[in-house]
Amino acid sequence: MKKTLDCKDVLENLSSYVDGDGSAELREALEEHIAHCRRCRVIFDTTRRTLKMVLDVDPFEVPLAVSARLYARLETVLSEVS
Amino acid sequence: MQKAKRPNQGVADEDDFVLVDRVLAGDRRAFESLVRRHERRVFRVSLAVLGNAEDAEEAMQDTFIKAYRHLGQFRRESKFTTWLTRIAINEAIQKRQGRRDFVSLDDSRGERALLMPRRTESWHADPENLYGKQELRRIVEVAIRDLPAIYREAFVLRDIEEMTAEEAADALGITVGALKSRILRARLLVREALAASLQVPPTLGKRILHAAEGVGISVAIRLMRAVRKEV
Repeated sequence: MKKTLDCKDVLENLSSYVDGDGSAELREALEEHIAHCRRCRVIFDTTRRTLKMVLDVDPFEVPLAVSARLYARLETVLSEVS
Repeated sequence: MQKAKRPNQGVADEDDFVLVDRVLAGDRRAFESLVRRHERRVFRVSLAVLGNAEDAEEAMQDTFIKAYRHLGQFRRESKFTTWLTRIAINEAIQKRQGRRDFVSLDDSRGERALLMPRRTESWHADPENLYGKQELRRIVEVAIRDLPAIYREAFVLRDIEEMTAEEAADALGITVGALKSRILRARLLVREALAASLQVPPTLGKRILHAAEGVGISVAIRLMRAVRKEV
């Protein structure tokens, strides 16, 4: 028998869906739900886009000054340790 | 669906092992190479735990000094990045606990309740065209920075550093189940924050139709007629 899911079940399985985990049966049930539910479809789609966007923009660079101070401190400390 | 991978990612673990060997044989320049390869990861992880750049800078310096001093204890049972990330997290957590403004981050109440998404309109097709790359990056950074610390840590390890759920849970000293529950909430919170900037504002008719999914179509049609009369 096919499993039917409500919106809460669908949301709880959002992560495994976008990560590509979970059984084929679960994926099928999720896909069937989102084909008919606009709200869940938008949430799935925009969550996927969120994760892709985070990787694309590659956030939080080390500021140049911070990097320079790191190398300066390591230079001092490492020569003491050696 | 497979997660998108950054094209320049994938610093080979074997290269790290070679560099570790050289450092242990007395080559200090090799340590500099290790730092160059991993400084961004260590900075991001420190920032994720501590929430501000000043503290993260100090934690990053202390992490590399500690790694250098304890490099002989690295057993190669894990990747070098996992070992280094664990040191970074411990350093940052210690610093956070020593901070005078530190408050307990117990958010178990929120962790049990699943966040219900509120912004459920679709997004602009090409946000980069709308904002430009720099501005988009700033929007993403603010969304992540504003997360409560326990969600920020999980999100940075799993969805920026692309550790597996098991590696991230291990590094944070929590169960895989707890990690997964935090990551779901973190993703929904980041999505919600980005939606504020990226969703397409719905037309009035569309808003009423969406509401109709809850109240039934006949009520919605009456509502639409009433609104038309008002306008």
